[in-house]
Amino acid sequence: MNFFFGIKTENIFSNLTIARFKNDGKNSEKHLLCKVAIKDSKWNLEILNDNVINEEFYSINEVLSDNENIFFLAQENEIEKFDKYKLKKLNTFTDTFPAYRSNLKISIRNGGFSSFQSEYPFDMVLKKGSILSPVSVLLNKNAKENIIFIKNIYEEPIQKKFNLFFVNIEKKKIVEKIELRTNYTNSINVNNELIKPEIYLITDKYLGAPLFVSIDNMHMSFEHTHPPHEYIMSNDKFKIISKLKREISEIIS
Amino acid sequence: MKSLVKKIFNANIIVFFRNLIKFRQLKVSLNEINTPKSISDSFCWRTDQGFKTIFKYSDILGLFYGIKDSTVFLSFYNKENILIKKLEIKELNYSNTLEINSKLLDGIEDYGVFYIFHKTNSEVNRETIISNRCYVGYSKNNNLYSFVHGNTYAKSDNIELHNKLKSHDIIKTSLNRQKYKIQNYFKDFTKTELFFANPTENIINIDIDNKKFYLGKRQSLILEVSNMNSIIFNSNCLYLRPIIFNYKDSYFDVYHG
Repeated sequence: MNFFFGIKTENIFSNLTIARFKNDGKNSEKHLLCKVAIKDSKWNLEILNDNVINEEFYSINEVLSDNENIFFLAQENEIEKFDKYKLKKLNTFTDTFPAYRSNLKISIRNGGFSSFQSEYPFDMVLKKGSILSPVSVLLNKNAKENIIFIKNIYEEPIQKKFNLFFVNIEKKKIVEKIELRTNYTNSINVNNELIKPEIYLITDKYLGAPLFVSIDNMHMSFEHTHPPHEYIMSNDKFKIISKLKREISEIIS
Repeated sequence: MKSLVKKIFNANIIVFFRNLIKFRQLKVSLNEINTPKSISDSFCWRTDQGFKTIFKYSDILGLFYGIKDSTVFLSFYNKENILIKKLEIKELNYSNTLEINSKLLDGIEDYGVFYIFHKTNSEVNRETIISNRCYVGYSKNNNLYSFVHGNTYAKSDNIELHNKLKSHDIIKTSLNRQKYKIQNYFKDFTKTELFFANPTENIINIDIDNKKFYLGKRQSLILEVSNMNSIIFNSNCLYLRPIIFNYKDSYFDVYHG
C-alpha cells in the first residue's frame, strides 16, 4: 500500500495525478481516493469524490496538494477498517513491481514545471531510522534557488521534531543542523556552500523521502535521490550500509 | 535441499517457462552473476534539438567499500548501438560530474545510451555486486538541467580490472508479451517523447498506439506521441520503462516512466 503526497511553498505549488490502474493495465474503478491529515491528534479521513479526471485518473490540485495531506486508494469496505490512531495497511492494490506511483508535478506561477513518479511505501511509515543522501548530485550551483524537501509520513498522528544534518564526510564535521517534523513535507533552502561532493545529509530518528529542486530563469528540476542500499545488490548490502550510516551517525551524535 | 530447489527453480530453462506462463515471473535476474560485478543502467544521452546532458555519478567503491584506487569506465553508443566514445576516469570524488555535449562526442548531435562501470585492482569480496543508479540532467537551449535518476539494470561488467569474464543479460525477454501502462495523464502536454533503450542482447518489439517498433540488441529509440490521455505498450521485454520528456510552452520535464 502506497501513500501519495504533495509540496507547497510560497512560490512552488504541486499537482498530483493518481492512476486508477496498475502498471500492468488492470483498472479499478472501485478504489476511492482518500485524503488523510492530522486533526486533534487523530488521523482524519475524507473520501474525495470530486477529483476524478476520467475512469483512469484522479487529480489533486494545489489546494489539497500541500505539506500535510496524504492520499491513498482504498475500496469502501477497506476504509471501514481505517484506524484514526495509527495508519494501517488496508489493501495491497498498490503493491506492484515496478512500484505503483503517482505523478507529483511541481510548478512556479507563469513558469516551468517538473515532476517525477512518486510514492511513499507503507513499510516506510512503520519505521524509524535515518536517511542518508548526497547533496550535490541533484542540485545545481549555477541555479538561482536550490531547495531540498524531506517528506516524512509516520504511522502515529503526531508531528514530532527530528533533525537533519549536513555533514562533511571527509572532514567528519557537521556543517549545518536543521529541525524537521514528522508527517510533513519539510523544506530547506540550500546555500551554494553546501553543494559539494563531500557534503551528505543525514537525519536522526525518522526516515523520509529526500526530494531535490533547482530553479533558474523559471525552469525547474525535481527528482529524488536513491537510498544507499540501491547501490549495492549483493547480500552484504545491509551490513555495508549499516557500517557507513554508523560512521556518519557518529559524527552527528 | 532448500537451496537445491531454489537452484532448480532459478535454472535458465525453468525461468524461461516461468516467464512464458507468467508464473512467478523473473523480470530482472542476477542469477548468472558469480564474480564481482558492476551493473549499469542504459542511460540516455542527448545532444539533438539543442539538448546537452550532464551525468552525476558516485564513487561507489570508494564510498561504500573504502577502496581508494577505483576507476570508472564510460562507453557511449549511438542509437544503433555502435560504440562512439570510451572514457576512463580516475581520481574520483565521492560525487562526480561529466558534461556530455556534441563536443565530447566528436560533433555528434543525436541521442543514444551510455554505460558506467566501476573497476579496481584492489581485492573485493567475491559476491560483491554494485549498481550505479546515477542521475542524468538534460538542458535544452542552455536552460537549467532537469534531472532524472537511472531506472533499468541493463548491463554488467567485472569490477576486477584483470577479469575478462563475459557478462549476461539482467533483464529478461519472453515469448509472452508484457503490458506496461504509464501512470500519468498526458493530455495537457504539447508533445511527449518516449525514450526506449533495449536493455538486452535480443531483438525486442514494442506495440504502442497501434504501431509496432523493433529495437535491435541494445539499440535506442525516441518516439514522439501526442493527443493521448494515457500511454500503454506491449513488449516481449519483461522490464521496459521509457524515459519521458513532456513539453509545454517553452518548458520541458523529464522523468522515468
